[in-house]
Amino acid sequence: MPTDDHILLMENITKRFPGVLALDDVKFDLKRGEVHVLLGENGAGKSTLMKILSGAYEKDDGTIWIDGEQREISSPRYAQELGIGIIYQEFNLNPFLSVAENIFLGREPTLAPGVINWKRLFAKAQEILDELNVNINSKEEVGDLGVAMQQMVEVAKALSLNARILIMDEPTAALSRHEIQQLFRIIRHLKKQGVAVIYISHRLEEIFEIGDRVTVLRDGKYIDTRPVKSISRDELVRLMVNRDLDEQIPKKKAKLGPVVLRVDNLCVDNRLHDIEFSLRKGEVLGIAGLMGAGRTQLARAIFGVDKISEGKIYVDGTEVSVSSPRDAINAGIGFVTEDRKSEGLVLNRSVKENISLPNIRKFLSMGVLDFEKENRTVDEYISKLDIRTPGRDQNVVYLSGGNQQKVVLSKWLCSHARIFIFDEPTRGIDVGAKKEIYQLMNELTAKGVAIIMISSEMPEILGMSDRILVMCNGRITGRLDGEEATQEKIMKYALGELNEAV
Amino acid sequence: MKFLTLSQQLLLSLVACILLMFSSGCNSQKFPGKPTVALVVKTLNNPFFNDMEEGALQVADSLELNLLVQAAEREVDVEKQVQIIENLIQRRVDAILLTPSGSSEVVPVILKANNAGIPIINLDTKINMDLLKSDGGQIATYIGSDNYEGGRLAGRYLVEQLGGKGKVAILEGIPGHETADSRQKGFLDGIAEAPGIQVVTSQPANWERNMGYTVFQNILQSHSDLNAVFAANDLMALGAVEAIAASGKNYSDIIVVGFDAHSEAIASIRNGEMDATIAQNPVQIGRMGVLQAYKLLNGGSVPEEITVQIKLIAKESLTNNNIATD
Amino acid sequence: MKLFEKIEFDQIRRYGTVIGLVGLCLFFTLLSEHFLTISNLMNVAQQSAIIAVISVGMTFVIITAGIDLSVGSVLAFSGVVMASALEGGLPIPVAIVIGFLVGFGCGAVNGLLITYGNLPPFIATLGMMSIARGAGLWYTDGRSISGFDDGFRFLATGEIFHIPVPVIIMIVIYVIAHFVLTRTKLGRYTYAIGGNEEAAILSGININFYKNVIYGIAGLLSALAAVILTARLNSAQPIAGIMYELDAIAATVIGGTSLMGGEGTIFGTLIGALIIGVLRNGLNLIGVSSFIQQIVIGSVIIGAILLDTNLKKMKTRSKR
Repeated sequence: MPTDDHILLMENITKRFPGVLALDDVKFDLKRGEVHVLLGENGAGKSTLMKILSGAYEKDDGTIWIDGEQREISSPRYAQELGIGIIYQEFNLNPFLSVAENIFLGREPTLAPGVINWKRLFAKAQEILDELNVNINSKEEVGDLGVAMQQMVEVAKALSLNARILIMDEPTAALSRHEIQQLFRIIRHLKKQGVAVIYISHRLEEIFEIGDRVTVLRDGKYIDTRPVKSISRDELVRLMVNRDLDEQIPKKKAKLGPVVLRVDNLCVDNRLHDIEFSLRKGEVLGIAGLMGAGRTQLARAIFGVDKISEGKIYVDGTEVSVSSPRDAINAGIGFVTEDRKSEGLVLNRSVKENISLPNIRKFLSMGVLDFEKENRTVDEYISKLDIRTPGRDQNVVYLSGGNQQKVVLSKWLCSHARIFIFDEPTRGIDVGAKKEIYQLMNELTAKGVAIIMISSEMPEILGMSDRILVMCNGRITGRLDGEEATQEKIMKYALGELNEAV
Repeated sequence: MKFLTLSQQLLLSLVACILLMFSSGCNSQKFPGKPTVALVVKTLNNPFFNDMEEGALQVADSLELNLLVQAAEREVDVEKQVQIIENLIQRRVDAILLTPSGSSEVVPVILKANNAGIPIINLDTKINMDLLKSDGGQIATYIGSDNYEGGRLAGRYLVEQLGGKGKVAILEGIPGHETADSRQKGFLDGIAEAPGIQVVTSQPANWERNMGYTVFQNILQSHSDLNAVFAANDLMALGAVEAIAASGKNYSDIIVVGFDAHSEAIASIRNGEMDATIAQNPVQIGRMGVLQAYKLLNGGSVPEEITVQIKLIAKESLTNNNIATD
Repeated sequence: MKLFEKIEFDQIRRYGTVIGLVGLCLFFTLLSEHFLTISNLMNVAQQSAIIAVISVGMTFVIITAGIDLSVGSVLAFSGVVMASALEGGLPIPVAIVIGFLVGFGCGAVNGLLITYGNLPPFIATLGMMSIARGAGLWYTDGRSISGFDDGFRFLATGEIFHIPVPVIIMIVIYVIAHFVLTRTKLGRYTYAIGGNEEAAILSGININFYKNVIYGIAGLLSALAAVILTARLNSAQPIAGIMYELDAIAATVIGGTSLMGGEGTIFGTLIGALIIGVLRNGLNLIGVSSFIQQIVIGSVIIGAILLDTNLKKMKTRSKR
């Protein structure tokens, strides 16, 4: 039963999907003015639980109390009326409307039926924004705002609906360090006003910074709830994955061989300038930098997607011209893109079709697909990379983030790529799967594969790289050895300080 | 398993929906003892064919025949019309009255009807008889008005009204149609007697009223001194009348002659907007069609061709005789 | 466990249309003694053949997340060009090849406009729909070309082992298309382009080339449909095939191909085309008025898609 300081209590929540028990007797509670972190690997049931709370799903079993009253949350609309606001990872904002219009979409103040009172609309929106202490003009178009500011608009929208329970699903996924601080400031501000926040995140460091209590779910089951102050990082990870991670980044140095890739004076119209580096067999070359530093552009240029305006690329010492991805693939380059869903995979096709997509020629005999050969090869990669799928014919959309990433890796392993470009290889992947990806990278380098790893995660860059390039504004501003690199040094170069020493 | 039941539900409701349609739409098997005659026309959204249907229904009722009326969704879709006839052959109707959407294109399916022993009575638009005969096919009879003669009547009327001299435009029907071709040919022959009459332009407006309007508006732009227009049907003529009004000219400036004696065209002539139209008698064509089918089914013989009278209606004739549209 | 679930859904989707077709046939069998006869079934197959052949091209195009509105006009244009070649005394195979070239050419122009011209498929093929129609009318001066010799007409009126030639052509095309879509590079790439164009590009696929090929195939199949239609009517009309694109889209979509691209089967399209054919035939047989036929056909299209999208929605929801 709920006590007085509970704004929300969920008990015995159970949800079944055909063949899957998504939530099994889960409980969760929330007190006024606290930030309660909901933690768990992908597929642990966090999203399902939140969808039940926000009225998107119906629970099969269990009870929900809000402000001590038992409630059946039958629709998103009713959840809204109860003061539950949710901010999804993908924003539901219209980029072509103004901030104010977005905040009050469908609830605009009117002069007469159907006639919007614009003055009042902008004023009311500005009031909310000012109260949040964010520097946004309510007349601005949402599309012109940065990601962080758009998130603030979402928060403002939720507050305009008098939300007292605010659900934030991975709010920092797309934010820079500075923007995260700004978000935290606002969360603290909301706390003071008695708003309770349910905070979903993979990033452990954030939990310690902003969270009051943390509840861990695993495989649809409730594991534990602890005050953040009295729990250690290792303990949290153990609760999540039920296994000890002595160290999160299991880097194994491989024997370095000759230079396999050399990029000489590479330029792409106004976006990349004088890029020069080389990559050795078995090496992991980390590329650090802030968003928009040109790291992804560099990867796209090397992979033949974007036109190179100047400069040369050498593979194994001979110059290659990469005017299309096909050329790059033929030269032995594989590109594991940042956004698996929009660039790496054909989601509604099978594991098999995705793996064989760049390699189809290998399976053709007289122009006809040799299914047997294809199946054999695909199965080989499924077992070698331990891709958890019911079978090769499963559509990749149903796989977890980590397994999707393994499918992308299989594509390039199958094409016998010797140079891998990883763009944010572990973004959106849970802790356990992350480690597997790192181990795969170790295995690759041990076999003599060379890796370019673009990453925004400092521990990853520091932990995995043999050497580090730091980029800023389309240029390489720093070159560091893996051993000597520190977070501070990288940050310095990423902000634009040049170092020509290395 | 609840998904299966949902799909079943949807399917069931679909079937129920279709069943409902039949209760209102199915009119064929009410009198299983009676012979069934099918009337296949070009389209059922043209008053001309509605009139034809009405005439056919009148006679069918009094002769105790089942009448099945069918048409393709689109007037020009001869392939769909052919499918309908094939299906009627499968259904073994006793006779088919047919206004073909394409004179030559229906020839193969008529051969099929011949093989099945189902008599074809050709109404209005003439089947390409040369092609049919060369393929060894036959029809029981043709009933229609003489479109060529109608066109000639229209041409003569214009010559008379213009005093043998003037500039004339033609609004054509869908090109390549037997009906359109004969009306136009008749018209050109009708004005050929007067060398002073000059056809300045001849453009298709696809039998449609709004096309008639736009096409004629464009014609007026380039030929402001136009004296008369012949439209191959009344819908296009009515469109032309609206274009004249929009251009700011007087109705009396341009003589408009249509074809079909559409009830709106008659009204327009009364109001002094259009000047003349050619009256066919679709009701009579429909009546005659069913009557000939009845004769055939009872072992009688029918003439090879029956021409239903055609005449020109102008303002003068409207006031003198009382022309009814039947 | 998950595997079973998947099969269950996909089976309902795949066999749902088959069940629908069988249901329709049962329904018409009950209402008309003339429906379930060999001659009528052949009749239905023959009537469906033209739309079915066009729908194959449409299926390829829609799987790439495109659309081709020009198929009906291209049919007419390639038909009259072929007919004039026949009229001019060229041998039948040569005339047919000329027709195919016209069809493929129109399709390839669509492809070029879409790939190198960056036009949305809807716009490019909408333009081609008007251009090919106009070209056909202009080429023939609006007249039909009719009267061909028996050798050519055999392609529509002939029978081989008591099966009408158009039905044989249809079956052959479907077998080939199914093979291409499931067992060749072109097929795989077709799905990949529609499923995720960016991922296809990054997998080294020259998507411009393949899109051109696919629109070319759609044009080519329109020309093949023109051969059947011309032989069947013994006449090539410049106004033939008006709105056939809509029938082809309907058949494709009823067959389970998603307009969003990346999904669909050739087999489904065949069932879709047959459902439309059986409906038209059956409603004629039992004497339903022409107007109500249109209502019924429209309802079936909507019903089929409703069923499909809702099943799909439930499938993805249950997976979350």
